[in-house]
Amino acid sequence: MRRLLFALLCLLPPALFAHEGMSMDMPKSPELGASAAFDSHGRLYLVDAADGHVRLRHSDDDGRTLSAPVEVNALAEPIYAEGENRPKLAFGPHDELYVSWSQPRAKPWTGFVRFARSLDRGEHFSEPLTVHHDRAEITHRFDALVVDGNGRIVIAWIDKRDVIAATAQGKPYLGAAVYYSWSDDGGASFVPERKLVDQSCECCRIALARMPDGGIAALFRNIYGDNIRDHAYAVLRTGGTVSHVERATFSDWQIAGCPHHGPGLAIGSDGVRHAVWYEAKGKPTIWYGQLDPGHAPQHPLAIASAGASHADVAVHDRTVWVVWNQVGANGYTLMLRRSTDNGAHFDAAREIARSSSAVASPQLLQKQGHAFVAWNTAAGFRLIEMPR
Amino acid sequence: MKRLLLAFALLLPTIAMAGSLQPLTAADVPALLQPPAHGVRIIALWALDCAYCEPNLEALATLQRAHPHEIELLTLTTDSIGQREAIEARLRSMQMDRYPARAYAEASPEQINFLLDPDWGGETPRVLVIRADGTRLGISGALTPAQLQKLR
Repeated sequence: MRRLLFALLCLLPPALFAHEGMSMDMPKSPELGASAAFDSHGRLYLVDAADGHVRLRHSDDDGRTLSAPVEVNALAEPIYAEGENRPKLAFGPHDELYVSWSQPRAKPWTGFVRFARSLDRGEHFSEPLTVHHDRAEITHRFDALVVDGNGRIVIAWIDKRDVIAATAQGKPYLGAAVYYSWSDDGGASFVPERKLVDQSCECCRIALARMPDGGIAALFRNIYGDNIRDHAYAVLRTGGTVSHVERATFSDWQIAGCPHHGPGLAIGSDGVRHAVWYEAKGKPTIWYGQLDPGHAPQHPLAIASAGASHADVAVHDRTVWVVWNQVGANGYTLMLRRSTDNGAHFDAAREIARSSSAVASPQLLQKQGHAFVAWNTAAGFRLIEMPR
Repeated sequence: MKRLLLAFALLLPTIAMAGSLQPLTAADVPALLQPPAHGVRIIALWALDCAYCEPNLEALATLQRAHPHEIELLTLTTDSIGQREAIEARLRSMQMDRYPARAYAEASPEQINFLLDPDWGGETPRVLVIRADGTRLGISGALTPAQLQKLR
């Protein structure tokens, strides 16, 4: 009988006894969501989050060594730093350093978009401010940050005030909305936010890119009809005119869910709008195409399929780079396809880096016409120069 | 001793079902994908950041309760087990803590996504059905009533 009892005890999976705080829990390492950018001197800056602080590090040797971190927010606060929701970094015309992030609030799916600036190359930061004037405890998350040709700081985000208002009135409303704001005074303050569109996807990053005239364009996952999650394109107007939102992809992927997979956008000096996006109507696929808002993209190309995720795109002169994470049974590879004819054709996919540990989304950067990929991995931050 | 044994035996299923969140590593995936002895195993994939997941989990729980002997239901969040506290709180608030629950033991979920189902890009909710005959079915997005009825 004792033996039977002993045998029964042995049957209990040992993990049943693991509870919070016990040694079987994995240590909480910093989340991998990070952003990087070069300033006008070629110094690389990197922001990520650790212990309630957005932290800034820099490198003068293209990422081989990183400086000690500077805390962007002196007072610790919760910070989204994973997947599509990560701290952002951009520079003003005189290397003013702008940082934004989304701060989780107490309730699920809530957040505030936060902003701080440094006017001394990242040595000191202003006290963070909340960008939106709306202070409801709802979603204002998935911030995207860019500086336009006039030095105006533009921030767009996903906002749920309208779905909440509609639901309260018993009206149907799919998804969330995209709002944006800007600062005309170098980030000291932001104008009251403007709604770009109703019924957008709730959980995908927004891509912002500068156009040749210095204006800012946005590409984001939107909802059409009954949960068709295609992408919309719009120029974010910062004057008196209203932004015009047009459907820009026509994949017809229908999903009542969260793709967690936003697009990428890069606009050439010739105005060609190079885009990458993900859809899984059939097999999961990353697409490249040149946006022709209102119509299907031109030069569409299935860049990668199963196991491919989180692509980014960049353009310089007639060279277009597309990078993405490719996962397999043994870890992650960072993949590249390159076009030298402005996106009409791409060469075959090739591996440019590999990681056996977890990785964040790759981000394409440029310095004096050379392209690099910022790749944050659990084993450390890496900057990979593109093969020539 | 007999009473102790009986009490223990009665407790076993409860303990096995209890909402103690377990990690899922890449090495754990093959065992999870083994066909059940009978009926179906439904792996309900969800994420903290997915507002569609809550009603979907509730619908799957309702289905499981209607067919308790045919359906083995377990929840699996793509969030890292490093967020244990938030995950367990959400499971309780959704009343899903009665089902075996697991969370990814990786900071980046794509590898486990791929091992579970290479034709899944990580969108949630996702349901993975494994039948006793070894066949599988994967559906992304909130399930329609017609899709729900086809899971068994």
